[in-house]
Amino acid sequence: MNRISKRQLLFFLACVAPVGKLALLPARLADKAGGDLLFPALLQFLLQAGAIFCVLLLAKRGMSFFELLKNTFGKVAACVLITVYALFLLFAALLPLLEQKLLVQTVFYDTLPSLVAFSPFFLFAVYLVSKPLASFGRMWDILAPLAAFGLAGILVLSVGSADFSALAPVGAAGGKGFFEGTMSAFAWFCDAALLLPLLGKFRYEKGLAWKGTLAYLGGGAAVLFFYAVFYGIFREIAPAQLFAFTATSKYFSGVSTLGRIDYLFIFALSLVMSFWAALPLQEAADCVLEAYGRPRGLPTLLGVGLSALYFVLSVVLDFRFTEALDVITGELVWIFPVFCLLVPLLLLLTRRRRREH
Amino acid sequence: MKTVSGDLEKTKDALKKLLPADDILSFDFRSGSGMRFCVLFADPITDKDLLGEQVIRALKSYAGAPKAEEVSAALTSPETKTEKSLDALAREVLIGNPVLLFSGMDGAVIVGTKKIFPRAVTEPPTDVALKGPREGFIEDFKVNTSLVRRRLKTGELRMETTEVGRRSNTVVVVCYLAGTARQEVVEEVKQKLKDIDIDVIPDSSYLTHFLSSRPYSLVKQVGTTEKPDIFCAKLAEGRVGLIVDGSPIALTVPYLLVEDFQSSEDYFVPSYRATFTRLLRLLALIVAIYLPAFYVAAQLFRLQLFPIKLLLTIAGSIRDIPFSPSLEMLLVLLVLEVLNEASIRMPKYVGMALSVVGALVLGETAVSAGFVSTPAIIMIAFSGIGLYAVPNLIEQTSVVRLVMLLVAGSVGTYGIILATAFMLLYLVTTENFQTPLLAPFSPVVGKDLRDSLIKYNLGSLKTRPKTLHSPNKRRLA
Amino acid sequence: MNIKKFSRTLPMKLWLLLLGVVLFSFFSNDFGLVDIQKTAIILAAGVDKTEDGFSVTAQIAVPKGSDRTTGGTSSVEIEAEGETVSDCVSLIFAKTGWVPKFVFCNLIVVGEEAAKSDMIGALNYFLRNDYMSDSCLLAVCEGKAGALLSSTSAIDDTSSLAIEKLFSNAAVNSGKVVPNSLKDFAISYYGVSESGYLPYVRASEQEGGQNDHAPTSAGAGTNAGGERDEPQKVYIAEETALFSKGKMVGLLPREQTLAFSLLTGKVSTGTFGAEDAGKPVTLTVVKNGGGVSLDLKDGPTAKLALSVTVRLCCRSITAPVEDIVSDSVPSPILKSAKAVLEEYAETLFSMCREAQCDLFQFKRMLYARSRKDYAAWKDSLLLALRPEIEAKVVSMK
Repeated sequence: MNRISKRQLLFFLACVAPVGKLALLPARLADKAGGDLLFPALLQFLLQAGAIFCVLLLAKRGMSFFELLKNTFGKVAACVLITVYALFLLFAALLPLLEQKLLVQTVFYDTLPSLVAFSPFFLFAVYLVSKPLASFGRMWDILAPLAAFGLAGILVLSVGSADFSALAPVGAAGGKGFFEGTMSAFAWFCDAALLLPLLGKFRYEKGLAWKGTLAYLGGGAAVLFFYAVFYGIFREIAPAQLFAFTATSKYFSGVSTLGRIDYLFIFALSLVMSFWAALPLQEAADCVLEAYGRPRGLPTLLGVGLSALYFVLSVVLDFRFTEALDVITGELVWIFPVFCLLVPLLLLLTRRRRREH
Repeated sequence: MKTVSGDLEKTKDALKKLLPADDILSFDFRSGSGMRFCVLFADPITDKDLLGEQVIRALKSYAGAPKAEEVSAALTSPETKTEKSLDALAREVLIGNPVLLFSGMDGAVIVGTKKIFPRAVTEPPTDVALKGPREGFIEDFKVNTSLVRRRLKTGELRMETTEVGRRSNTVVVVCYLAGTARQEVVEEVKQKLKDIDIDVIPDSSYLTHFLSSRPYSLVKQVGTTEKPDIFCAKLAEGRVGLIVDGSPIALTVPYLLVEDFQSSEDYFVPSYRATFTRLLRLLALIVAIYLPAFYVAAQLFRLQLFPIKLLLTIAGSIRDIPFSPSLEMLLVLLVLEVLNEASIRMPKYVGMALSVVGALVLGETAVSAGFVSTPAIIMIAFSGIGLYAVPNLIEQTSVVRLVMLLVAGSVGTYGIILATAFMLLYLVTTENFQTPLLAPFSPVVGKDLRDSLIKYNLGSLKTRPKTLHSPNKRRLA
Repeated sequence: MNIKKFSRTLPMKLWLLLLGVVLFSFFSNDFGLVDIQKTAIILAAGVDKTEDGFSVTAQIAVPKGSDRTTGGTSSVEIEAEGETVSDCVSLIFAKTGWVPKFVFCNLIVVGEEAAKSDMIGALNYFLRNDYMSDSCLLAVCEGKAGALLSSTSAIDDTSSLAIEKLFSNAAVNSGKVVPNSLKDFAISYYGVSESGYLPYVRASEQEGGQNDHAPTSAGAGTNAGGERDEPQKVYIAEETALFSKGKMVGLLPREQTLAFSLLTGKVSTGTFGAEDAGKPVTLTVVKNGGGVSLDLKDGPTAKLALSVTVRLCCRSITAPVEDIVSDSVPSPILKSAKAVLEEYAETLFSMCREAQCDLFQFKRMLYARSRKDYAAWKDSLLLALRPEIEAKVVSMK
């Protein structure tokens, strides 16, 4: 339980990481890039794949993220840097959290529920944060088949309703649409940044960097196919379909006779998504704990603290979601490429200090 | 530590002091050579015929030296040992083994003439199989070990006896196949047994608490079986078994959750049938746990989970019900649990009547009186039946079902999903004896999946489960 | 306090606290959520234009009690007026005390006046509603939608269910009706063509029908067995309303509706009439293929192609008995059929052009093909289009 195996890591990259891109992002991309939504997404996947390749190469050094920083910059600087990184993770946690909240309010209820309905998520987050980060590896063994089952099910039910000619003409959105789509999508592509705190919790094996990158791109391909189906179904009204993965499958003919059988797949993906939404919180806590020590009870205490903070934030941002989303994907979006692309690259380029014996 | 002395009277008095109960009797006699002997025994649990035959008659003509070794050799009992400690002697007397004292002794002789009242070996009521062996363990550990030994005629089968319980001194036999069971697990079991400090162990279920890594957990962490064939199959896979005197339920560790989805019968039917029934058990369990919860959540929070025609039928049925959908379901569930509890404890003939009262009178009348709706009864009935598809997990799953219902009634479908996430996280982080509970699914162990929820043909199961880390990997040549 | 003991027992205390919270919320169960007993399950909605805004008629399902002895679905219609559709829905809540839920609303009918003046105003509420499915059927009706939903159907307890039957797959295969959903209508409106279509429903009185078929389980005022003195109605949706820029701009008669269906290639059981030596003959379509394309080579040309495989269904001329068992259609009839279908398609095209409705999404085709051409033709394409119609009629062998 203290190590993440190679298979678990590949499961994460191929199946769990893509799930975070199935809710709000498709509508956002459709809004910015219209029928060209696949291109910004493709670029993001490629950029992330490169960053993931860097992170996996870093794993060769056999050190944890904190050790890596300590080894390069010294202990004090490493503590400062890892705190900054933890703060970034907390910032990155905001979007999936708000996304999750909105998803719950829209998909799981017939009428708008009060905030109480979402609050159990924070209890779950406390429990999750109190668990060691490496235990996530075993969770991915369960979540990956669930995610694959959910996405495959939704695609099977949806693909018949899609008209792929809606994606034509290619390039209709122009450079502006492509640029805006790419920029706003940065907020959803933190996969490499989420991989950094896992360093040291898995062992590098030969070819892992390539395999990991290919697994991630494989998952990305499935997501792109889903985007194509999504736009093929909704065309011009795609920007209004906020939770893409919950919207595409209801047009399946069997739904009218059997009821919403697609909920089975939607619930499976939602389950995976709740882990996905809480992962940055857990990683932020883990970064802090690794740098400053892990006395008994502190993980739970930290979990309580972080969850309480996010509970307050979700209350404050309850009806300001659109504004928050605009700020995160607008003015503050530059933060994401810095931490998700530059940091892994810089770490890879920094020379390793010789260990003092 | 007090020990025996050469003075017979002194030793006898010391033992009597340790065992002042009225049913501890002594019998004094002399051999032909005039040497004095005394047998101390617990009257109700000692076989006096054997005692007379193998000890008293054999010593009548004894003319040897007052040495424990020589006296022991003169007896006609195959089960003797010598002991000097008074405490150990007292313990043996209480087990039913008489203690032979004699003048000038250097140690007392313990004779194995314990009286056994074994119940007949019958089919266990909780583990009935249509195909396959029908023998079940009984309360006597000797019979149980003999049932195991009969199936595993190999010198590698080790049965190490130990006693647990300060007052009960319950015999616990640790069984394993040397070279097949993982040595670390064997040692951990022995250590855990050694660390137990409790006065009485009336049943093997007491031991599960001490063998579990999370003793307060709802999740089962020790395997149980009443059937020697299953027990032996588990030993052959590399597990360690525990037979507890006085209990017909044997324990096995390490335990995997998937074990309870398997039945002995799966190995006696074609593999496709076994796979089908295992998946059916899983489905039944999922239905049992989630059906009442989703039914309530759908009514309260997400009507769309029902097809419209079903929804209208349900809406029509609950129109005049005085309770909220969640309360109605909780009441019906509690009634079912009470009925279940009562019908198990009742004598069989009363139990039959009770089921009729429960099913017909209560159910039918409650519906026609408008207390509960027909769909609620149907949901609970489905759920109740589903629960019994995996009988070894009933205690756990019925609680999980109740929790799911409460969560569904509180926050709806999202609550169910989060509760499931909680449950999954808890399960994947549970390990016992260095073995993850959810293996071979988490962590995935590819080869072990062949005998998990799916079952390959016996010919394909060439190796022992990798999860158990058996040093002897190959099963099929 | 012993901190060690406290921290050891803390998890148990937290679990107990959590259990307490769950039990409290279970038994109080009130987060402003609406359970099945407080809900109005809306089966269909009718939207009409009024002087001050809109009028919405919600057809609400009334569940039958557990002693139900008959099938069918009872319903009641509640009408409310307001400036917007949203106001009307709020008023329905106020009138009934039931929270209106649209999750099961499978039909929205818009009255003709509303369709002609402000279709998007009528639909905007439904498009924005996160809690309703946009796969619900959409239709326009003659007169008031509220009156249509409140009418007594001759074939079902609930009028909306009777209307939905008109849009079944079997009806689509017959080519007599072209149903559309809220989502598809919205896509066509928000798309570059800004044009769409909806089935047009008319209610007509059933000859001799006086509500004697319906069960008598529900109370008066409902549609299931209420002893209303209203005449029973049957519904027909063989006509198709054309929309452009969110307004109804034309009405296709049944022949052109059939031609539209044939051009989409979905017909497999429909019938149409032709001539056989001056006498009427009915042909059954057993196979259909169709397609519409745009060609810009020699000026914008709309190519409308349809092919049908037919067999004789009904013939008036005297013929030997072998003719009845023969599937083969004589070539004069095939010729006549071809002429009929081409004429239907031509009329269809010219009606659309007249109404400025880009029914076949030519603009979309142009946009997908070339943005440059689209920019050049987008405003004048419909008027400039020259139709090339080709119908191929073959006999079933």
